[in-house]
Amino acid sequence: MAGWKSLKDMTVLSKPLPRLDGPDKVAGQAKYTHDMHPKGLLYAGLLVSPHPAARVVKIDASKVRRLPGVKAVLTDVHPTGTVRYAGEEIAAVAATSPEVLEDALELFEVEYETLPFVADIDSAMQENAPRVFANRPNIRDPRVRGEGDVDAGFARADAVVEGEYRTQVQTHSTLETHGSMVYWEGDELVIYDSTQAVHGVREGVAKFLDMPVNKVRVVCKHMGAGFGSKLQPGRYTAIAARLAKETGAPVKLMLTRKQDFLGGGNRPNSISHVKLAATKDGKLTAFYAKTYGTAGIGTNAGIRLPFIYTIPNWKHEHYDVFTNAGPARAFRAPGCPQASFVMEQLMDELAEKLNMDPLEFRLKNDSNATRQKEWRLGAKKFGWQRRHKKPGADTGRYKRGMGLAASIWWPGGRGTKATMTIYPDGTLDVKCGTQDIGTGTRTYMAMVAAEELDIPMKRIRPMLGDSNFPKSGASGGSTTTPSVGPAIKNTSERAKTKLMDLAAQFLGVPATDLAWDSGTVYMKTNPVKKLTWDELCQLLGTETLEVHGQWVEGLSSRGVAGCQFAEVTVDTWTGQIQVNKIVAVADCGLILNRLTTESQVNGAILQGISYALLEERHMDPETGTMVNANYGDYKILGAKETPAIEVIFYDEPERGVIGIGEPPTIPTNAAIANAVYNATGVRMYELPMTPDRVLTALEAHQFAGKED
Amino acid sequence: MIPNNFEYIRANSVQEALQLLSQKGDGARLLAGGHSLIPAMKLRLNAPETVIDISGIQDLASIHRDGGRLHIGALVTHRTVETSDEVKSSCPVLSEAAALIGDPLVRNRGTIGGSLAHCDPAADYPALTLCLDAEIEATGPSGSRTIAADDFFVGMFETALQPGEMITRVTFPVLTRGTGAAYEKFSHPASRFAVVGVAAMVTLDGSGNCSSVRVAITGAGPSVFRATKVEQALTGKAPDEQAISDATQDVADPADLMSDISASAEYRAHLCSVLSRRALQRAVQAARG
Ligand SMILES: Cc1cc2nc3c(=O)[nH]c(=O)nc-3n(C[C@H](O)[C@H](O)[C@H](O)COP(=O)(O)OP(=O)(O)OC[C@H]3O[C@@H](n4cnc5c(N)ncnc54)[C@H](O)[C@@H]3O)c2cc1C
Repeated sequence: MAGWKSLKDMTVLSKPLPRLDGPDKVAGQAKYTHDMHPKGLLYAGLLVSPHPAARVVKIDASKVRRLPGVKAVLTDVHPTGTVRYAGEEIAAVAATSPEVLEDALELFEVEYETLPFVADIDSAMQENAPRVFANRPNIRDPRVRGEGDVDAGFARADAVVEGEYRTQVQTHSTLETHGSMVYWEGDELVIYDSTQAVHGVREGVAKFLDMPVNKVRVVCKHMGAGFGSKLQPGRYTAIAARLAKETGAPVKLMLTRKQDFLGGGNRPNSISHVKLAATKDGKLTAFYAKTYGTAGIGTNAGIRLPFIYTIPNWKHEHYDVFTNAGPARAFRAPGCPQASFVMEQLMDELAEKLNMDPLEFRLKNDSNATRQKEWRLGAKKFGWQRRHKKPGADTGRYKRGMGLAASIWWPGGRGTKATMTIYPDGTLDVKCGTQDIGTGTRTYMAMVAAEELDIPMKRIRPMLGDSNFPKSGASGGSTTTPSVGPAIKNTSERAKTKLMDLAAQFLGVPATDLAWDSGTVYMKTNPVKKLTWDELCQLLGTETLEVHGQWVEGLSSRGVAGCQFAEVTVDTWTGQIQVNKIVAVADCGLILNRLTTESQVNGAILQGISYALLEERHMDPETGTMVNANYGDYKILGAKETPAIEVIFYDEPERGVIGIGEPPTIPTNAAIANAVYNATGVRMYELPMTPDRVLTALEAHQFAGKED
Repeated sequence: MIPNNFEYIRANSVQEALQLLSQKGDGARLLAGGHSLIPAMKLRLNAPETVIDISGIQDLASIHRDGGRLHIGALVTHRTVETSDEVKSSCPVLSEAAALIGDPLVRNRGTIGGSLAHCDPAADYPALTLCLDAEIEATGPSGSRTIAADDFFVGMFETALQPGEMITRVTFPVLTRGTGAAYEKFSHPASRFAVVGVAAMVTLDGSGNCSSVRVAITGAGPSVFRATKVEQALTGKAPDEQAISDATQDVADPADLMSDISASAEYRAHLCSVLSRRALQRAVQAARG
């Protein structure tokens, strides 16, 4: 198989093209799961536990059943009857309207035996704290990793820095909450799901319901964000399927915003005790970290230390801590934003101790060749040389500062199948059982086929988000584009071969005598003998041409670098941080669509700023539930907080396709934290950097309130 | 996010609204802009049996100046206060403050009467009303009475309004030469309500000293309050930077303030000082013309 064309030969790919479904989305025509209203639809909802730890003693649903408009009730939806976080599903109802549904949910009478709980990591780690799981301590056994001899590394260092850093729990806050609309066609189940994995949900729900996989179909045409929280099948889908079976009607069950906050996933917090050392010529010698994180009742609260730097001797002990809170889920670059907050600030502290510029110090310890170039490129575009050499140099109320931080990501492409159907009128469908979770998958599917076949985009109908289409994996780990892009290219090439065979037959020459150019097949020795795309397709007569292809090695690769620079202004009277500008350098091999790729970087930065300054799940120690489970209290970044963003692509087309969704969200928080230090001379050891935390830190350094 | 069932009635005059209020009793609620009532109903924190919609009563939707007094009808929206030429020239601080309320949707619907009657501890108008020494006109079955702002705000979500009464208008002083006012607000990042808001009004005498100072603070405590210590410290003094800075060192005691997830009591106390200083500086500037 051929590789990708060179950038200069591309006419469609790697151009900045608007997404094909953009107009529909803007006009409200794109139908999300939330928008599905088939005739006879029943509205289902969950009753969830208000208690963080309890045993369900009795559920009395008699009043619910008597309410006119209630069509089905389930009281056996909790698998064990022992609740471990506020928000676990206890019962479900299907009703004829959302109004009846809400009244019905108030009529359940549930008797709970409440149990002691731990609402946050600090209380969970105390001696004699109530256990989340009776038979297991809250602090799990450590996972220990490392290399070299840490003691020797510290012993030969000239400078050491250490500290404790904390990051918060952040919820995914997808604008479309989790949920499904389902109906039965005979013994076959159709599911419209807000999901990052149509095939995964199909397999998972089939298992939940003990059904054959081929009797379950999952559809997701448009998706209101996932960020990792919608990679798995939801219990709500199986519940909706049972309600639909019982009533014989279509049923929609979407989690409420509050339920989504409580149980829809989150990024674990982290507490890191860390120590980093270097020699006076600026070479890192040793790193030690002891970290804790809570994934609620789940696991995998790890933090990816020592991040990106080359350190000969390091050791990292990590402890997951159970708390009575909703389980964490994969969240855009799991474990990485936490790690950049810790490591990039430590790097700055150490650079200062060594009297070195933070950039120079990084160049000495970063072994990634791409990033070496990106650091320099970004520094130049950003104007790093304008940075105050002395932190807190501005006088007066407002202080400006600059900071930087690195990014990284690993996974590449993997098995994906696709089908192309070519019609006699010259149009074609490209089908792939992937999903467009807002990243522009649909659009580049058409772009790849258009580029390979040299035909206009408008002739191509990209089709995805359906488990009836050839299998592709979950859209997670930034794997979608390096999986789907090559699969479409491979399918297009095979289509080309088949069409050339057809042309050879028609022209009565061997296919090897033919060549393909600009959507036309011609004889190499006699180029006037040719068939245009339309003529070729007409050869199909009344048939269609079906071609199958798949992901193949060599068109994608893995591993990206990247770095970011931030400029902030700190109001020393109030502690407010304003981000003025972010410059991001990003690489992802061959960029398929420059516009949607830039959108990915922009979005990742916005989520990074939101993480740095605004978002935090607050658990009430008294009740053990989240107190800010709504957007009036849980602030996510909006237009007002959005700075100027400049995205610079570092093109490496020779590497093939690589994903970009996650890495650019990693460095933003740390670049901002380093900029805050540069502005004020005060280091922020805890996220988010809210005004009162900043002010407290400033006051401790006696900067606050000075209006000189 | 769906209210309980309720009866909806539209009142076309103050008279009709009052009649309905007395007829329907405790289970009835007036509906003005709906931007406090409806959210509470959707969360089922408030479940009135009857909602009396007064938003169409034209008599309560006008602004007019009468000599030294500026009358604002109870149903005048935040947006109208923000943009009204009459308000901008008679009492500019009100326009300035209205522009800081919530977002455009809230400002287009929310009303001054609704805001004062609701008496949210983080609302903006209570600070302006108290600082500017405004008067609230309450109308009930037995007629209208005037309540001084100092007597109106009783506590969290609690006012001097009696059952069966409604606010019909609010009267502010027209600010003339020698008097200036300013409002400084630190907004909650999500809701835009005041984490702390400080309104200050200063009147200068012939020699440039403060003959009167009023400072009112919202968002910080369970209810709006006057910063009497600051007022006393500046009254009779020349309001130079140093004097203002000295007077605003300890405006509020954290022990009296609220602590929640958006700000600790200590941080609120700090904001009280910072915002008082800024508000007073700007009020003095305005007074000097
Ligand atoms: C997202 C959001 C952000 C907001 N941000 C701010 C902010 O930054 N600052 C701020 O100050 N406010 C803010 N608000 C509140 C907003 O200003 C409300 O509009 C206001 O508090 C209530 O006015 P209303 O006309 O909407 O009253 P309604 O909601 O209709 O009524 C509120 C209460 O007052 C009663 N009532 C209404 N009118 C009268 C009357 N004439 N006489 C007696 N009782 C009456 C009602 O019965 C009800 O109990 C915000 C609201 C929202 C939803």
